[in-house]
Amino acid sequence: MARYGMAIDTKRCVGCNACTLACKQANNVPDGVMWSRVLTDGGDMPDTPASDGGNLSMRYFPMGCQHCENPACVKVCPVGATYKDPETGVVRQDYDKCIGCRMCMSACPYSGVRSFNWDEPQYCLGHDVGDADAPAHQKHVVEKCTFCYQRISKGEVPSCMDLCPARARFWGDLDDPNSEVAKKVASRQYTHLLEEKGTKPSVYYLV
Amino acid sequence: MTNYNSEAVMDDLDVPAAAPAKAREAVGARAAAKSRGLNVAIGISAIVAAIGIALWVVQMSGGMVQTAMRNLDSWGLYITCFMFFVGLSAGGLIISSVPKAFGVKGFGGISKVAVMTSIAATVGAIGFVVVDMGQPLRVWELFVYSNLGSPLMWDIIVLMVYLMLSCVYLWAQIAAEKGKVSHAALRVISVVALVCAVMVHSVTAWIFGLQQSHEMWHTALLAPWFVSSALVCGTGLVICAAVALRAAGYLKWEQADLVKLAKLLAAFLLVDLYFFGCDLLTEGFPAASGAEIVAMLVSGPLAPFFWGEVVLSALAVIICVVPRLRTTPMLVAAGLFAIAAIFCKRVQLLVGGFQVANIDWPAVLTPFTVTDWEGNMAQAYQGMVYWPTPLELGIALGVVGLSFLIFFLGLKLLPLKPAGGK
Repeated sequence: MARYGMAIDTKRCVGCNACTLACKQANNVPDGVMWSRVLTDGGDMPDTPASDGGNLSMRYFPMGCQHCENPACVKVCPVGATYKDPETGVVRQDYDKCIGCRMCMSACPYSGVRSFNWDEPQYCLGHDVGDADAPAHQKHVVEKCTFCYQRISKGEVPSCMDLCPARARFWGDLDDPNSEVAKKVASRQYTHLLEEKGTKPSVYYLV
Repeated sequence: MTNYNSEAVMDDLDVPAAAPAKAREAVGARAAAKSRGLNVAIGISAIVAAIGIALWVVQMSGGMVQTAMRNLDSWGLYITCFMFFVGLSAGGLIISSVPKAFGVKGFGGISKVAVMTSIAATVGAIGFVVVDMGQPLRVWELFVYSNLGSPLMWDIIVLMVYLMLSCVYLWAQIAAEKGKVSHAALRVISVVALVCAVMVHSVTAWIFGLQQSHEMWHTALLAPWFVSSALVCGTGLVICAAVALRAAGYLKWEQADLVKLAKLLAAFLLVDLYFFGCDLLTEGFPAASGAEIVAMLVSGPLAPFFWGEVVLSALAVIICVVPRLRTTPMLVAAGLFAIAAIFCKRVQLLVGGFQVANIDWPAVLTPFTVTDWEGNMAQAYQGMVYWPTPLELGIALGVVGLSFLIFFLGLKLLPLKPAGGK
């Protein structure tokens, strides 16, 4: 029994989107779909700051599935296609079961982390890339970040951990006090996205 | 059973006290023309439904990318119409079952026709869920892997029960007229049908109202509000259907019963507007995040639908409560206004739920992120975040055609006329 989680250091993140691409590559994510994106807390466009007249401010929030302890999506799925893995605490998605009703998408407060394949999945490269054991994508089903389940089930780390040039991400078992993520959460101030929704995310943003 | 009671039940069985012979002859004379008219109506609605099915095949094969729904506005016209049709199904069943359940006088000989509108609207509601699904061939999973904790699952169960119960109820009324079902049994079925009707609207509301993710939906008022909205548009539908059938000579219906129904419609409309006022005040008063929702409705992108609902409801109330205005055409207009007002309500609810993003920080947008993805997040939410494509409108029209087809087939094949009115 583990409760995998991630801490993302907003003071280190430079918004380079390397994690976005690492995720797309590792999971062979189709064109137009992004399981992980980098959001800019600043101006109206990505990578632009907000201004209060004199001072500029900008922060980045890389956002994928928050793998909530109290996930809104799992409760509402009528067929149990999205479920919480008891071994890892990861919220998983069974493409073969999903009926495409998109109830989970409207229940999830973190709009945009769940993605529906509105079309037959297409790939800009003519061939598959990434992990051979990542599940194949399907048309008209909902998919999302799995914390790279195919990797973590083998004891590896999610792909977004690998390429982060700023070393802004920390991974591990939140229940294990010696894990990298647990140490960061214990020693740093952090925030959750939409804490008031009561979903208890497993992704911590260090501030 | 007292005298009063048996009289009441007699009334509910649609046996007109004394149908004037002349009127009966006139009805007979018009029968031929009427049946031709009905056949044409069946033909047209079948064609519309068939076109809808063809367009649905286009949607399935070419991908739902052809709809305007996207990740940030993941439901659209279909779920709007689903809510709307569940509501429409209310009127018939409740108007028909309340008098029988409580043993009071009914609304004349429209009981069976009213239940038929319920059946047709329920089939439409189920149709809208099916066309919204990405994997309709996996629908069997709902019964094999049912997650009984999901409000959507509750709704599927209640909707099925509701449809079957409506059919049983219609059958029981017809059988009761032939003396094959006792009045007591009919009364029991009426009570069960009534409870089920209230449940189906509450559960439909809970699909939305139990989601903490959308501030506009997350209110305890939503379930009773859905019941009142359902009563409004359902009663409006029964008024329109009954007047149309009377004009076509299908049935005889006393003007007094129409007026009675109109007064009921006014009461339902006022309750619905009252709930609307309560909700707006509760959202807006703290001047916190809910104020954004009030602004969106009153003066934002959804203002046409907000004011549309308010104005149409008010007009319908005025027509129904001012005795001089209660002419048949005006009351039909009131019924149509009530139906249109509730459709505006459904659009507000569905689009409004997605219109206020929880996290509106900009990120890279793709064609799948949001309907209007080519600008930035602020631009995507500038107008209505969602507006249907012609394909969605066509498929929705097809489902509506299917509902009409069911209703017209019911008129043609089932003995829905008031007993003794032939």
